[in-house]
Amino acid sequence: MKIILASSTNVFVRGGATFFVDWLGHALEARGHQVDTLMLPVSEEPNALLEQMAAFRLIDLSQHGDRLITVRTPAHLLRHPRKVSWFIHHYRGAYDLWGTRYQTLPNSPEGIACREAIIGADNRGLGECARVFSNSGVVRDRLRKFNSVDAEVLFPPLPEPNPFRPGPYGDYLLLFCRLAHHKRQWLAIESLRHTRTPVRLVIAGPADPDAASYVDELRVLIARYGLDDRVSLLSRWIPDEEKTALFAQCLATLYFPFDEDSYGYPSLEAHAARKAVLTTTDSGGTLELIEEDRNGFVTPPDPEQIGEAMDRLFSDRALAQRLGESGPERMRELGIHWDHVVERLLA
Amino acid sequence: MRIAVLNNCVPFLYGGAEYLADALARKLQEFGHEATVIRMPVRWDPPERIIDHILAARLLRLPNTDLAIPLKFPVYYVPHPNKTLWLLHQFRQAYDLWGTQFQSIPDTQEGRAIRDVIRRADNEYLPEARRIYTNSKVTGDRLRKFNAIESEVLLPPLLADSAYRSGETGDAIVAIGRVNDTKRQLLLVRAIKHCRTPVRLIVAGKTESGAYASAIELEIRKHHLEARVEFIDRFISDEEKIELLSGCLACAYIPYDEDSYGYVTLEACLSRKAVVTCTDSGGIDALVRHGDTGYIAEPEPKALAAAFDELYLDKVRAARMGAAGEELARSLRINWENVIRTLTGSS
Repeated sequence: MKIILASSTNVFVRGGATFFVDWLGHALEARGHQVDTLMLPVSEEPNALLEQMAAFRLIDLSQHGDRLITVRTPAHLLRHPRKVSWFIHHYRGAYDLWGTRYQTLPNSPEGIACREAIIGADNRGLGECARVFSNSGVVRDRLRKFNSVDAEVLFPPLPEPNPFRPGPYGDYLLLFCRLAHHKRQWLAIESLRHTRTPVRLVIAGPADPDAASYVDELRVLIARYGLDDRVSLLSRWIPDEEKTALFAQCLATLYFPFDEDSYGYPSLEAHAARKAVLTTTDSGGTLELIEEDRNGFVTPPDPEQIGEAMDRLFSDRALAQRLGESGPERMRELGIHWDHVVERLLA
Repeated sequence: MRIAVLNNCVPFLYGGAEYLADALARKLQEFGHEATVIRMPVRWDPPERIIDHILAARLLRLPNTDLAIPLKFPVYYVPHPNKTLWLLHQFRQAYDLWGTQFQSIPDTQEGRAIRDVIRRADNEYLPEARRIYTNSKVTGDRLRKFNAIESEVLLPPLLADSAYRSGETGDAIVAIGRVNDTKRQLLLVRAIKHCRTPVRLIVAGKTESGAYASAIELEIRKHHLEARVEFIDRFISDEEKIELLSGCLACAYIPYDEDSYGYVTLEACLSRKAVVTCTDSGGIDALVRHGDTGYIAEPEPKALAAAFDELYLDKVRAARMGAAGEELARSLRINWENVIRTLTGSS
């Protein structure tokens, strides 16, 4: 099948959504399809939103390809008679963040009209799709609430082939993701302080461009609690080989961002390496993947209780192993593999 | 710098402009820039759709980008404060091709209105670019004639940095490249039958239509030229091309009215071979100076035959023309370093 894969890009910012599109393209090609990937530029400047949405709407792809798969907003406004959307997030400033301090449009008549125009355009674009998929239950619920669209959840898998491999259940917990306040590396340090076992913590990942002071805070915290010999803070880009080794040899992983939409790739990477994931009840999307005492632990975001869970894993390696080995089964159960994704997108 | 190369696209089509855009981005990266290609899909028919896509380009934004380098209509309308145009072509149907069989827009009230919108948009928005370079003198002349806009010529270098060699001066004229009626290989075959010397012709390249291939074969048979004309009807690899150019007597490249100098012309120069072209071939004369680096003959068999015979009879002169061609090519600085320095304003 000839498939046009269309998404939007911030240009020069490579993040989750760009990788997502690359991986989907590879998965489609690996199954014998011909793929043309279009990444159209989008600025998130609120004043330019509607103009850019109009631009997407004016671009007519209907002469080409057997199917159009759109990913990041506002790609679903592109015109094609056989369109499906794998919707990964709204322009949230006009949706669930409207009325919060993250609202990006002014509360003026113009701002309200702009918000309504965005919702109206999304309704139109999504309404034209033969099917709408979402990348998480959270986004599915938002589509239902704001757009009256019934989406099917299609969880994004890791790229294939993924390099993660199982290894010995070591003496450290791994928290691998960008260093940013809402990813709560600080909570991991606070929790380690309450442990009674000598379990160690490895925090690894590049700092967000504006997060230099946050990294300093983490260092201060480690020093204040005298945890220097039990916490390794690798604040940098981690090469693939080092990354897979870190996952292979950890005891289990931690992933408790604050209220994220999706379960996050670090959880999948942990499971690919047969490791359990320790998350918290307020982490959002991780709860769609992690089940208490099956493929990890779900505790309240409370340092003492997290510390207790850390100790349990350290004291009982058989438990860490049992939980870690349940990961792949849980992923299959949720259809987190490319055969399923491709089958649904092309159904 | 963060540099976005902007190009049009028709999904699933990959041609010379796409190759040039990719090569430019790759070379920009080699010179230490962050570079990416942004492709905007364009639909040309029905003609009113062209207006939609002009508007779409105008409504798009290009965030996080220090320099935009658009190559074509209509993507050069995308607004950006630091835009350097490297113009491959405008929409010629609204200019020099208007009134010819290639017009494509109907000569009706609506059609003329569309033509005028295109011309006005060019007049209005092209001057936004800080600098305008064209890929050939022809493109630049057209821009001056129709839009009164000044530009400089920046010739595109060879796409692949292959090693061209200069071997013995042989006894065959070679014509390499796509075989079709605008490239006029049939005219070369007809020339051979008027030659008085035993000069040979090798036509090498993939035909785009069975009819044109048959016409060439028929011509060869009709005039019993089997021993003098070799027709290699398939894709020619870079290796084969280097080999053919290295050992030929001279190269013939006689397209009808092309804007650019033709990559094969430059390849012939770098192989130190004379080039035969025609008075109506267009931009080829950037590299072919009559009597100096080759021949610019009338587009008719006898004139071409006379040029072939002269080359055959005086191989010392043919070799001298080849050497002069190489010198001319080098003096024009048709290389990536010059292109990158010029486009990024660091020369």
